Amino acid sequence: MSMSTAPRHRTLVAIPAYNEAATIRNVVERVRENLPDSDLVVVNDGSRDSTAAILDGTGATVIAHLCNLGYGRAIQTAVLYAERAGYDRLVTLDADGQHDPAQVRALLAEFDTGRWDVLIGSRYVVSGRYDGVPFGRRVGMKLFSSMVRLMAGRRVYDTTSGLKVIGRQTFTSLTKWQFIDFHAEALVYLMRLGYRVGEFPITVEERRYGTTMYSALSHIKYPLKTALMVVLGVVEASLTRRRPS
Amino acid sequence: MTGAGIIAAAVIGIPFLLWVVNLVRQDRLYAGYGVIFVFGTIVTMAVLVIPPLLNMVTELSLAILPVPSLSLIAIVILTLLVVYVFIQISVLSNRVMRLTQELAIRNARSERGVEPGAPGPR
Repeated sequence: MSMSTAPRHRTLVAIPAYNEAATIRNVVERVRENLPDSDLVVVNDGSRDSTAAILDGTGATVIAHLCNLGYGRAIQTAVLYAERAGYDRLVTLDADGQHDPAQVRALLAEFDTGRWDVLIGSRYVVSGRYDGVPFGRRVGMKLFSSMVRLMAGRRVYDTTSGLKVIGRQTFTSLTKWQFIDFHAEALVYLMRLGYRVGEFPITVEERRYGTTMYSALSHIKYPLKTALMVVLGVVEASLTRRRPS
Repeated sequence: MTGAGIIAAAVIGIPFLLWVVNLVRQDRLYAGYGVIFVFGTIVTMAVLVIPPLLNMVTELSLAILPVPSLSLIAIVILTLLVVYVFIQISVLSNRVMRLTQELAIRNARSERGVEPGAPGPR
């Protein structure tokens, strides 16, 4: 228990999981070990493997989608849950074990400076380069980073990071509109609404188990869909700002 | 249209109409969608069977001959129908997603002993 006299923020750590039987137990245990003051929920997004059974054994709070809705909707479910339960901030991290929960403490400390409404754990913000990233993915990351700068006026180097701290002031906005993966389109939407989105350096481990959620076809569909949603995010944010509250 | 053509239109159109009406009656086709097909079939049959109507449609579509004019109208109608179907699928998909999210959250909260609609302890 923290002995700090600063007001204690209620923090919810949410892990969206889809077919992550190989890693989910370890990730849950590491989160509990490193973030004992935070509540933890796992959004089981209709997993078809033994993820649900493994989660039963961990005693973690599970929000179970009856069918697979996709990463963006899983995150949105976590946001809805956090909003209803009155949490002050939501931490999202991937279930594949790539994110080290120990780094979340530093991320939360930076978030607590009050400078940010959303803080992204960024793999590339220090170097500003995408070293070691496969060519196709590197092109995509540069494209979306440039797109965010063009549409929102500020560069975000790691638009696809799954490690984020989201402040409660953004919860309502994030549940009002649809997002594909809470990547560039969500960032542009929030930035155009006036929220402060920042990056904080993190390192990630190589994925050792399971496969990426992106299929061969989605390598073509994802950039096109995201580009469309980024443009629509600008339009939606403009309309939202004009609407009387 | 020739007498044989009128019979052909009736042989295709009337059973189609009866099939659609029966689907609506059996609750296998939503009445709102059934109306589109019933209305579309009746208008199409009328245009095919009544020559002045066919001529008017040809002139309105800026075509020289009735056949390309009817093809053009068919393509436009089919395109609109496809878009309409995709809109309906998207609407239903969004409703299913919202329901799934809501159900998942309510279940999780009731398992934790929190009233599903109520805010959590502060």
